[in-house]
Amino acid sequence: MSACSVGVGIYEQSFRGKRGVSSEEIVDPTVQNDASVRRVLLHLVLPFGALILVVGSIAAIGLHSYRSTRAGVVALTHELLGAVQRNISQEVSDYIMPAVAGNTIASGMIAHAPTQVVDRVFNSYGAAMLQSVPQLQSFYLGDEEGHFRLITRGPDGTNQERTTFEVHDGKQVYHREFFTDDGVKTGEEYTDATGYDPRKRPWYTDTEDQTDTQWTQPYLFPASRQFVMTSSLRFQGANGHTYVFATNISLNELSTFLDHLKVGKTGNAIILDSKGRVIAGRNIMQQAEAAGWDSEKMVLDPKTHPVFARGYDHYRVRGFGPHSFELNNKRYVTIASPLKNSAKGWILLLSAPENDFASFARQSSQQSLQFAGIIIVFSLVLAGFLVRQVRRSERMARKLTQQGMQIAHESAAVQQVASTPSLFDPTAEPLVLTEQLAHVTNARRASIWRLLYDGAAIICEDSYDQKEDTHSGGFEMSRTELGGLFSSIESGDVLNVPNAATDERTTQFERLVMRELGTHMLAVYPIQGPKGIVGAVVLEDAAMVPHVVYFVSLMASIAGIRLVETGQDAGGALTLPADEVPGAMAIAAPRAEPSFDNMLVRAPGGAVSSGIYPSVAVLVITFSDPVVDGETQTHALLDLINQLATDVQRISRERGLFAVEVAGHRMICMAGCTQEEDPTAIIRVADAALTMRETFMAALAAADLEPVFAMGLDYGAAFGGAVGEEPKVFNLWGQTVSLAELMAQGVTEGGTIQVTDRVYQALRDRYLFRSRGTFYAPHLGLGRAYVLAARR
Amino acid sequence: METRTVGPLLELNKAVPSFEESGLPPLPFSMKLMPGDCVVVEARSASRATMFADLCCGLVPLEEGAVKFMGLDWAELHDRELNALRGRIGRMTRRPSWPEFLNTHLAITLQQLHHTNRPLDEVVAEAARLGELFGLPGLPVLPPSRLSDVDLLRAGCVRAFMGRPRLLLLEDPLEASPVDLLNPFLSAITEARDRGAGVIWLVRGNAVWQGYRQGITSLWRLADDGLVEVRTA
Repeated sequence: MSACSVGVGIYEQSFRGKRGVSSEEIVDPTVQNDASVRRVLLHLVLPFGALILVVGSIAAIGLHSYRSTRAGVVALTHELLGAVQRNISQEVSDYIMPAVAGNTIASGMIAHAPTQVVDRVFNSYGAAMLQSVPQLQSFYLGDEEGHFRLITRGPDGTNQERTTFEVHDGKQVYHREFFTDDGVKTGEEYTDATGYDPRKRPWYTDTEDQTDTQWTQPYLFPASRQFVMTSSLRFQGANGHTYVFATNISLNELSTFLDHLKVGKTGNAIILDSKGRVIAGRNIMQQAEAAGWDSEKMVLDPKTHPVFARGYDHYRVRGFGPHSFELNNKRYVTIASPLKNSAKGWILLLSAPENDFASFARQSSQQSLQFAGIIIVFSLVLAGFLVRQVRRSERMARKLTQQGMQIAHESAAVQQVASTPSLFDPTAEPLVLTEQLAHVTNARRASIWRLLYDGAAIICEDSYDQKEDTHSGGFEMSRTELGGLFSSIESGDVLNVPNAATDERTTQFERLVMRELGTHMLAVYPIQGPKGIVGAVVLEDAAMVPHVVYFVSLMASIAGIRLVETGQDAGGALTLPADEVPGAMAIAAPRAEPSFDNMLVRAPGGAVSSGIYPSVAVLVITFSDPVVDGETQTHALLDLINQLATDVQRISRERGLFAVEVAGHRMICMAGCTQEEDPTAIIRVADAALTMRETFMAALAAADLEPVFAMGLDYGAAFGGAVGEEPKVFNLWGQTVSLAELMAQGVTEGGTIQVTDRVYQALRDRYLFRSRGTFYAPHLGLGRAYVLAARR
Repeated sequence: METRTVGPLLELNKAVPSFEESGLPPLPFSMKLMPGDCVVVEARSASRATMFADLCCGLVPLEEGAVKFMGLDWAELHDRELNALRGRIGRMTRRPSWPEFLNTHLAITLQQLHHTNRPLDEVVAEAARLGELFGLPGLPVLPPSRLSDVDLLRAGCVRAFMGRPRLLLLEDPLEASPVDLLNPFLSAITEARDRGAGVIWLVRGNAVWQGYRQGITSLWRLADDGLVEVRTA
């Protein structure tokens, strides 16, 4: 690029970057998957694995603790129930004992009393006992001769009634005498007792052949709502008679006792006989009523007493002792035990929900669970912190690695710049600077600008587009266009703008330069020269700029040295625009008309109008660059070229071609440049091409040269016309010309004529062709190429 | 994704190729190729040259030593990374390497389409540009078997220089090729070297590369006694 180019002069070069690319590559071979797997293991699996272990341990310990506590609670419950059971046994025993012991005492007293005082002893004993022992209801005394005596409480529970079974006038009667508790007789009566025989009553018959106390089945008195049972003892009196002494004891008091008894918080107790009939327990009267006052029917109903019924079943299957079971999703514990000193086969059954005893264990478990929950939450938070910390460390390590790589990258870039030959030579292009700037800062585009005319304008020395991998430059902008940016550069401060379109200093620059690429971020680094600011480094969309300030400064300094050199080389020419230099216009004075133009065969002037020609045949002939050594060879070559040109002129005239243009090592022969379609044009050009080929081959062979030419032929529409002042030059443009050139460029070997499909279609009846195959070219699409061999 | 900016591009560090697998002499091969270098390796046997190129690509098992490309040891990479790394090598080989199930244009662009996310238009435009450079009137779309030998050779050049290969393994494309291929070939090599690619040019005789003598970094000979550097005048 010329240092003193004025106006807009753009060049593009296809220099490739020094970097190996590639953000475009999909797989980065330097990144191994193992690392990421290890990272995942380290970052996630390890902390959360440890957390799960902690949670699992807590859960296991909690479960174990719960189980041990529960086992302890169950044992404690059983012990408690056992204690309660012993207590109740004692209570029951105490309750019944007066009947059992009373029988023994009374029998002893009566047995040894003389016959005359037997009645008095019985009455005295009975009265005393009834007064002092509330659960005792009455006493009987009978003998084998059918005598019967009874002492009982009054119907209201106070006073006493003494009844004797007597025969008056052959009639059996009850002689009832009523006494107060103090022994004062208040009255008497006789009631009929026909048919009564005490020896047939159960309390009497049960004692036959028995020497110990016998118990009858409990029986109910609906009138007095009493639930009573009788114990009786047979003994021999001193007078030789056999007596049976019986005591009635009320079970109501026992039920009341059990009713008030608390087992745990909500548990209770019941006494059953060996056949499962209820002897005493809670709500005994309601049960008796429900059973129709029939003690035989007072069995445990699973509907009203589900827990006792289930407990009794367990007892029947498993025997005495504590048993646990679950009923309606609730756990119960029951204990069944025999009652000593009681009637034969009585069972005490206790039941209570486990919760009554184990509720504290449950609370303890819940608390443990809550503590475990808190620990887990803390563990989670700690694990989260750990993960965060590890990831942060990893990120920092990565950043350090990246920084290391960045430094290596920068060093490599500096080395690359340093090893560039003619780095400070102003005539050499400073391509390496912009390339390295773009690569290191990761900028979309990096450019170096130089101030001109004492700061009146700025010119782009070089601009490198990293994505397109192209260099451009030469565009110049004046202070009036970019006022704000100039001030900013001249101030010497670095300018970093995240969005150039919205900053008033850079709006114009964005509109004129950046919008074309669609970049937004702008970084401007002024370049300091010995006499002040000489230019600026401009980076667009440079994400890495904040991290590589040192590198950019270094590059700016190198660019500064170059710019100073460039300015000195340009000298005073740059102090003012060319059109203001005195005498400059003289340079632009009209020159003498050139003696030659580039037409070997001129187009007929005035005969043809400019415009689109529907059927133009274009033949492009290219020659390889000649290699000459010495003046003799040069002359010989020029003679040869002249001969070839003359031949071309001759053949063109013979074939009636429209024009032949020469440009460097190319010749363009054209025919059919008329507004009307000319079907013969292609035939004439093809003939001319074949003739020229023969002629060239012969001429080159005579000069001992290889066939260093190639021909391309196309046929189709093109547009053209005469351009310039007289003598005007005819020129032709269009796809037909481009394709003909492409055909000439892409021949397989020297001396061949390559044609397009259109030519083949037009000429295949007249000429011989060899297919080369189908090819695709951008903007042109698919097409076949043929080699024109000969006429048919 | 720049992997390496300093150090050798290709390094054969006492690499002893497996004789059974390659037919190369089981001797230690040592060579360093720096970015921008162009090394000529003379090998009389075409098959041996191909095997040597395979060795550079990490396709030949080693008995000892290591072959590193861009600082990465072929033996230490997994398949995915191996393939990606090989995608950075441009290769011309005497071994038949054109797939019959694809047309030539696909075979040429396949490597770039597979390894990069470049837009199709861009890849096609580059292929067409290279096709033009190597004397094709465009991108050939016929099956490779229907192209002439010379055009297939040109297509091979296009394929090798597609993308920005970091290493070029060229098994003497100029042998029995038209004269006009020489300049585009040397121009493409020079351009590739300018942007930091390393070139290993395998030749059968010394006539082919004499025109480019000044551009050659070093000359080696691959024979029965292994890989030996030859001093050049």
